[in-house]
Amino acid sequence: MTMTLVSTVTVGAGGASSIDFTSIPQTGTDLLIMFSLRSLDNGGPRDYIKVRFNGITTSTYTVRYLEGDGSVAASGVFANQSYWYTNTGLNGSTSTSNTFANSQIYLPNYSSSNAKTGSVDSVSENNATQAGQTIAAWSSTTTAAITSLSIIGNTNWAQYSTASLYTILKGSGGASVS
Amino acid sequence: MPTPTYTPLANLTLGSSAASVTFSSISQAYRDLVLVATPISTINDGYLALQFNGSSSNYSMVNMEGNGTSTYSYTYSQIWVTLNNQNMWTTPSTFLINVMDYKQTDKHKTALLKGGTASQSLGASVGRWADTTAITSVTLQATSATFAAGSTFALYGIAA
Repeated sequence: MTMTLVSTVTVGAGGASSIDFTSIPQTGTDLLIMFSLRSLDNGGPRDYIKVRFNGITTSTYTVRYLEGDGSVAASGVFANQSYWYTNTGLNGSTSTSNTFANSQIYLPNYSSSNAKTGSVDSVSENNATQAGQTIAAWSSTTTAAITSLSIIGNTNWAQYSTASLYTILKGSGGASVS
Repeated sequence: MPTPTYTPLANLTLGSSAASVTFSSISQAYRDLVLVATPISTINDGYLALQFNGSSSNYSMVNMEGNGTSTYSYTYSQIWVTLNNQNMWTTPSTFLINVMDYKQTDKHKTALLKGGTASQSLGASVGRWADTTAITSVTLQATSATFAAGSTFALYGIAA
Protein backbone atom coordinates (compact mmCIF):
# COMPACT_ATOMS: atom_id res chain seq x y z
CA MET A 1 0.00 0.00 0.00
CA THR A 2 1.80 3.08 -1.12
CA MET A 3 -0.81 5.73 -0.58
CA THR A 4 -0.18 6.72 3.01
CA LEU A 5 -2.17 9.12 5.14
CA VAL A 6 0.22 11.59 6.75
CA SER A 7 -2.22 13.76 8.60
CA THR A 8 -5.79 15.03 8.72
CA VAL A 9 -6.59 18.45 10.11
CA THR A 10 -10.09 19.43 11.20
CA VAL A 11 -10.76 23.07 11.95
CA GLY A 12 -12.24 23.65 15.38
CA ALA A 13 -14.70 26.18 16.78
CA GLY A 14 -13.82 29.73 15.89
CA GLY A 15 -12.15 28.78 12.64
CA ALA A 16 -8.54 28.95 11.58
CA SER A 17 -6.69 31.28 9.24
CA SER A 18 -4.70 28.48 7.68
CA ILE A 19 -4.33 24.74 7.66
CA ASP A 20 -0.70 23.76 7.90
CA PHE A 21 1.16 20.56 7.24
CA THR A 22 4.72 20.68 8.52
CA SER A 23 7.61 18.24 8.55
CA ILE A 24 6.19 16.40 5.54
CA PRO A 25 7.99 13.06 5.29
CA GLN A 26 10.21 12.72 2.25
CA THR A 27 9.40 9.03 1.90
CA GLY A 28 6.97 9.42 -1.00
CA THR A 29 7.28 10.66 -4.53
CA ASP A 30 3.95 12.48 -4.88
CA LEU A 31 1.63 14.38 -2.54
CA LEU A 32 -2.17 14.27 -2.62
CA ILE A 33 -4.17 16.73 -0.56
CA MET A 34 -7.94 16.31 -0.21
CA PHE A 35 -10.03 19.17 1.18
CA SER A 36 -13.51 19.77 2.45
CA LEU A 37 -13.46 23.50 3.00
CA ARG A 38 -15.79 26.34 3.86
CA SER A 39 -14.63 29.91 4.34
CA LEU A 40 -15.88 32.51 6.80
CA ASP A 41 -15.23 35.20 4.20
CA ASN A 42 -18.38 37.22 3.60
CA GLY A 43 -17.16 38.62 0.30
CA GLY A 44 -19.12 36.12 -1.71
CA PRO A 45 -20.04 32.50 -1.92
CA ARG A 46 -16.93 31.72 -3.95
CA ASP A 47 -13.69 32.23 -2.13
CA TYR A 48 -10.03 31.53 -2.85
CA ILE A 49 -7.88 28.68 -1.73
CA LYS A 50 -4.31 29.91 -1.49
CA VAL A 51 -1.50 27.40 -1.12
CA ARG A 52 2.07 28.12 -0.22
CA PHE A 53 4.88 25.65 0.42
CA ASN A 54 8.01 25.86 2.56
CA GLY A 55 6.86 29.30 3.70
CA ILE A 56 8.05 30.76 0.40
CA THR A 57 6.47 34.16 -0.16
CA THR A 58 8.33 35.28 -3.25
CA SER A 59 6.63 35.56 -6.65
CA THR A 60 7.39 32.06 -7.83
CA TYR A 61 3.91 30.55 -8.15
CA THR A 62 1.98 30.41 -11.44
CA VAL A 63 -1.55 29.12 -12.03
CA ARG A 64 -3.45 28.52 -15.26
CA TYR A 65 -7.06 27.60 -14.75
CA LEU A 66 -10.27 26.59 -16.47
CA GLU A 67 -13.53 27.16 -14.65
CA GLY A 68 -17.25 26.97 -15.08
CA ASP A 69 -20.09 28.31 -12.97
CA GLY A 70 -23.12 26.83 -14.65
CA SER A 71 -23.45 29.55 -17.25
CA VAL A 72 -20.00 30.70 -18.31
CA ALA A 73 -16.69 28.95 -18.89
CA ALA A 74 -13.54 30.98 -18.44
CA SER A 75 -9.80 30.53 -18.44
CA GLY A 76 -7.14 32.73 -16.91
CA VAL A 77 -3.67 32.98 -15.46
CA PHE A 78 -2.17 34.10 -12.19
CA ALA A 79 1.49 34.43 -13.06
CA ASN A 80 4.37 34.95 -10.66
CA GLN A 81 2.26 35.15 -7.54
CA SER A 82 3.14 34.72 -3.88
CA TYR A 83 0.65 31.83 -3.65
CA TRP A 84 -0.90 29.18 -5.79
CA TYR A 85 -4.60 30.00 -6.17
CA THR A 86 -7.81 28.34 -7.04
CA ASN A 87 -10.30 31.04 -7.82
CA THR A 88 -13.61 29.24 -7.69
CA GLY A 89 -14.94 26.10 -6.21
CA LEU A 90 -14.95 27.15 -2.60
CA ASN A 91 -17.90 27.83 -0.39
CA GLY A 92 -18.00 31.04 1.64
CA SER A 93 -20.17 32.38 4.40
CA THR A 94 -22.97 33.39 2.06
CA SER A 95 -23.19 29.90 0.59
CA THR A 96 -26.05 27.63 1.54
CA SER A 97 -25.68 26.48 5.13
CA ASN A 98 -23.69 23.33 5.71
CA THR A 99 -22.25 23.22 2.21
CA PHE A 100 -18.54 22.63 1.88
CA ALA A 101 -16.39 22.65 -1.21
CA ASN A 102 -14.25 19.71 -2.20
CA SER A 103 -10.84 20.02 -3.72
CA GLN A 104 -7.98 17.77 -4.64
CA ILE A 105 -4.41 18.86 -5.23
CA TYR A 106 -1.85 16.50 -6.71
CA LEU A 107 1.82 17.47 -6.48
CA PRO A 108 4.10 15.01 -8.29
CA ASN A 109 7.78 14.63 -7.51
CA TYR A 110 7.52 16.82 -4.43
CA SER A 111 10.77 15.59 -2.93
CA SER A 112 12.78 16.10 -6.10
CA SER A 113 15.14 18.97 -6.82
CA ASN A 114 13.18 19.93 -9.95
CA ALA A 115 10.78 22.82 -10.38
CA LYS A 116 7.40 21.90 -8.93
CA THR A 117 4.12 21.36 -10.76
CA GLY A 118 0.63 20.46 -9.65
CA SER A 119 -2.87 19.57 -10.76
CA VAL A 120 -5.98 20.87 -9.00
CA ASP A 121 -9.67 19.97 -9.07
CA SER A 122 -12.12 22.08 -7.11
CA VAL A 123 -15.87 22.08 -6.90
CA SER A 124 -18.39 23.87 -4.74
CA GLU A 125 -22.06 23.15 -4.23
CA ASN A 126 -24.42 25.93 -3.32
CA ASN A 127 -27.85 24.64 -4.20
CA ALA A 128 -28.34 27.99 -5.91
CA THR A 129 -26.22 30.37 -7.94
CA GLN A 130 -22.54 31.13 -7.57
CA ALA A 131 -21.30 27.60 -7.33
CA GLY A 132 -18.42 26.62 -9.52
CA GLN A 133 -15.85 24.14 -10.56
CA THR A 134 -12.23 24.64 -11.49
CA ILE A 135 -9.33 22.66 -12.84
CA ALA A 136 -5.90 24.20 -12.72
CA ALA A 137 -2.30 23.58 -13.64
CA TRP A 138 0.22 24.88 -11.15
CA SER A 139 3.92 25.50 -11.44
CA SER A 140 6.61 26.97 -9.27
CA THR A 141 10.18 27.83 -10.11
CA THR A 142 11.24 26.65 -6.66
CA THR A 143 13.32 23.50 -6.84
CA ALA A 144 13.55 22.70 -3.14
CA ALA A 145 11.77 19.61 -1.84
CA ILE A 146 8.38 20.42 -0.37
CA THR A 147 8.61 20.01 3.39
CA SER A 148 5.61 22.06 4.48
CA LEU A 149 2.30 23.24 3.01
CA SER A 150 -0.10 25.94 4.12
CA ILE A 151 -3.67 26.22 2.88
CA ILE A 152 -4.74 29.79 3.44
CA GLY A 153 -8.09 31.51 3.00
CA ASN A 154 -9.03 35.15 2.57
CA THR A 155 -10.21 35.08 6.15
CA ASN A 156 -10.70 32.04 8.33
CA TRP A 157 -11.65 28.51 7.44
CA ALA A 158 -14.94 27.54 9.02
CA GLN A 159 -15.33 24.95 11.73
CA TYR A 160 -15.47 21.37 10.41
CA SER A 161 -13.34 22.19 7.39
CA THR A 162 -10.94 19.30 6.88
CA ALA A 163 -7.79 18.62 4.91
CA SER A 164 -5.93 15.35 4.55
CA LEU A 165 -2.41 14.92 3.25
CA TYR A 166 -1.25 11.69 1.65
CA THR A 167 2.07 10.59 0.25
CA ILE A 168 2.13 8.30 -2.78
CA LEU A 169 5.16 6.21 -3.57
CA LYS A 170 5.88 5.22 -7.14
CA GLY A 171 7.00 1.78 -8.18
CA SER A 172 10.08 1.01 -10.19
CA GLY A 173 10.63 -0.29 -13.71
CA GLY A 174 7.93 -1.87 -15.81
CA ALA A 175 7.87 0.58 -18.71
CA SER A 176 9.53 0.75 -22.09
CA VAL A 177 10.33 3.66 -24.37
CA SER A 178 10.40 4.11 -28.11
CA MET B 1 -11.64 10.49 1.49
CA PRO B 2 -10.09 8.00 -0.91
CA THR B 3 -9.48 4.41 -0.03
CA PRO B 4 -5.71 3.96 0.16
CA THR B 5 -5.35 1.44 -2.62
CA TYR B 6 -2.83 2.99 -4.95
CA THR B 7 -0.59 0.06 -5.76
CA PRO B 8 2.50 1.01 -7.77
CA LEU B 9 2.82 -1.06 -10.93
CA ALA B 10 5.50 0.72 -12.91
CA ASN B 11 7.52 3.89 -13.06
CA LEU B 12 9.90 5.53 -15.48
CA THR B 13 12.02 8.67 -15.55
CA LEU B 14 13.39 9.34 -19.01
CA GLY B 15 17.14 9.57 -19.25
CA SER B 16 16.92 10.78 -22.83
CA SER B 17 14.18 11.98 -25.15
CA ALA B 18 11.59 9.52 -26.42
CA ALA B 19 8.53 9.60 -28.66
CA SER B 20 6.45 7.32 -26.46
CA VAL B 21 6.37 5.36 -23.23
CA THR B 22 4.59 2.03 -22.95
CA PHE B 23 3.44 0.19 -19.87
CA SER B 24 3.00 -3.41 -20.98
CA SER B 25 1.97 -6.71 -19.38
CA ILE B 26 -0.23 -4.77 -16.99
CA SER B 27 -1.46 -6.86 -14.08
CA GLN B 28 -5.14 -7.77 -14.31
CA ALA B 29 -5.54 -7.79 -10.53
CA TYR B 30 -7.15 -4.35 -10.17
CA ARG B 31 -10.35 -2.57 -11.10
CA ASP B 32 -9.01 0.75 -12.42
CA LEU B 33 -5.71 2.23 -13.48
CA VAL B 34 -4.24 5.61 -12.63
CA LEU B 35 -1.40 7.13 -14.61
CA VAL B 36 0.53 10.13 -13.34
CA ALA B 37 2.68 11.85 -15.92
CA THR B 38 4.89 14.91 -15.72
CA PRO B 39 6.07 15.16 -19.30
CA ILE B 40 8.47 17.79 -20.54
CA SER B 41 8.17 18.58 -24.23
CA THR B 42 11.23 19.07 -26.41
CA ILE B 43 9.49 22.08 -27.99
CA ASN B 44 6.96 24.66 -26.85
CA ASP B 45 4.07 22.83 -28.41
CA GLY B 46 3.03 19.29 -27.85
CA TYR B 47 0.18 16.95 -27.06
CA LEU B 48 -0.03 14.04 -24.70
CA ALA B 49 -2.01 11.18 -26.22
CA LEU B 50 -3.10 7.82 -24.89
CA GLN B 51 -3.52 4.49 -26.67
CA PHE B 52 -4.48 1.04 -25.41
CA ASN B 53 -3.07 -2.31 -26.52
CA GLY B 54 -1.28 -0.63 -29.42
CA SER B 55 -4.59 0.08 -31.13
CA SER B 56 -4.98 3.16 -33.31
CA SER B 57 -8.71 2.89 -33.96
CA ASN B 58 -12.10 3.25 -32.28
CA TYR B 59 -11.35 6.18 -29.98
CA SER B 60 -13.80 9.02 -29.41
CA MET B 61 -13.72 11.79 -26.87
CA VAL B 62 -15.11 15.07 -25.66
CA ASN B 63 -12.92 17.65 -24.07
CA MET B 64 -12.79 21.09 -22.47
CA GLU B 65 -9.74 23.29 -22.56
CA GLY B 66 -8.48 26.70 -21.55
CA ASN B 67 -5.33 28.59 -22.44
CA GLY B 68 -5.56 31.42 -19.95
CA THR B 69 -7.59 33.57 -22.30
CA SER B 70 -10.11 31.45 -24.17
CA THR B 71 -12.05 28.27 -23.52
CA TYR B 72 -12.81 25.47 -25.94
CA SER B 73 -14.80 22.28 -26.08
CA TYR B 74 -14.70 19.68 -28.85
CA THR B 75 -15.75 16.19 -29.71
CA TYR B 76 -13.46 13.95 -31.73
CA SER B 77 -13.09 10.57 -33.27
CA GLN B 78 -9.38 10.00 -33.10
CA ILE B 79 -6.65 7.43 -33.09
CA TRP B 80 -6.05 8.15 -29.41
CA VAL B 81 -7.40 10.01 -26.40
CA THR B 82 -5.81 13.41 -26.03
CA LEU B 83 -6.26 17.08 -25.40
CA ASN B 84 -6.16 19.37 -28.37
CA ASN B 85 -4.23 22.44 -27.52
CA GLN B 86 -0.56 22.70 -26.55
CA ASN B 87 -0.86 20.92 -23.25
CA MET B 88 2.84 20.03 -23.13
CA TRP B 89 5.52 22.66 -22.98
CA THR B 90 9.26 22.80 -22.31
CA THR B 91 8.37 23.29 -18.66
CA PRO B 92 6.87 20.25 -16.92
CA SER B 93 3.17 19.51 -17.22
CA THR B 94 1.13 17.40 -14.85
CA PHE B 95 -1.43 14.85 -16.05
CA LEU B 96 -3.67 12.56 -14.04
CA ILE B 97 -5.31 9.82 -16.09
CA ASN B 98 -7.96 7.41 -14.84
CA VAL B 99 -8.79 4.30 -16.84
CA MET B 100 -11.92 2.63 -15.56
CA ASP B 101 -12.76 -1.09 -15.66
CA TYR B 102 -9.68 -1.74 -17.77
CA LYS B 103 -9.87 -5.52 -17.62
CA GLN B 104 -13.61 -5.89 -18.22
CA THR B 105 -14.42 -7.76 -21.43
CA ASP B 106 -18.08 -6.71 -21.39
CA LYS B 107 -17.47 -2.99 -21.63
CA HIS B 108 -16.01 -0.41 -23.92
CA LYS B 109 -13.22 1.33 -22.04
CA THR B 110 -13.44 4.87 -20.72
CA ALA B 111 -10.66 7.16 -19.62
CA LEU B 112 -10.51 10.58 -18.01
CA LEU B 113 -7.43 12.60 -18.89
CA LYS B 114 -6.90 15.93 -17.19
CA GLY B 115 -4.00 18.29 -16.77
CA GLY B 116 -1.70 20.51 -18.74
CA THR B 117 0.92 23.12 -18.17
CA ALA B 118 0.75 26.34 -16.21
CA SER B 119 2.84 27.83 -19.01
CA GLN B 120 0.29 27.44 -21.79
CA SER B 121 -2.86 25.35 -21.69
CA LEU B 122 -4.82 22.83 -19.66
CA GLY B 123 -7.98 20.82 -19.93
CA ALA B 124 -9.78 17.55 -19.48
CA SER B 125 -10.88 14.87 -21.93
CA VAL B 126 -13.16 11.95 -21.41
CA GLY B 127 -12.46 9.26 -23.94
CA ARG B 128 -14.02 6.01 -25.02
CA TRP B 129 -12.20 3.14 -26.65
CA ALA B 130 -14.91 1.14 -28.42
CA ASP B 131 -13.32 -2.21 -27.73
CA THR B 132 -14.16 -4.88 -25.19
CA THR B 133 -10.67 -6.32 -25.05
CA ALA B 134 -9.00 -6.19 -21.66
CA ILE B 135 -6.32 -3.52 -21.55
CA THR B 136 -2.89 -5.06 -21.11
CA SER B 137 -0.77 -2.17 -22.30
CA VAL B 138 -0.99 1.61 -22.25
CA THR B 139 1.10 3.86 -24.45
CA LEU B 140 1.63 7.53 -23.72
CA GLN B 141 2.52 9.25 -26.93
CA ALA B 142 4.10 12.65 -27.49
CA THR B 143 2.56 14.15 -30.60
CA SER B 144 3.96 17.16 -32.43
CA ALA B 145 6.96 16.80 -30.12
CA THR B 146 8.93 14.25 -28.13
CA PHE B 147 9.24 13.69 -24.40
CA ALA B 148 12.43 15.25 -23.05
CA ALA B 149 14.81 13.74 -20.51
CA GLY B 150 13.50 14.14 -16.99
CA SER B 151 9.88 13.38 -17.94
CA THR B 152 8.32 11.03 -15.40
CA PHE B 153 5.55 8.44 -15.79
CA ALA B 154 3.97 6.24 -13.15
CA LEU B 155 1.25 3.59 -13.29
CA TYR B 156 -0.91 2.49 -10.35
CA GLY B 157 -3.58 -0.13 -9.85
CA ILE B 158 -6.73 0.73 -7.93
CA ALA B 159 -8.60 -2.08 -6.22
CA ALA B 160 -12.38 -1.98 -6.12
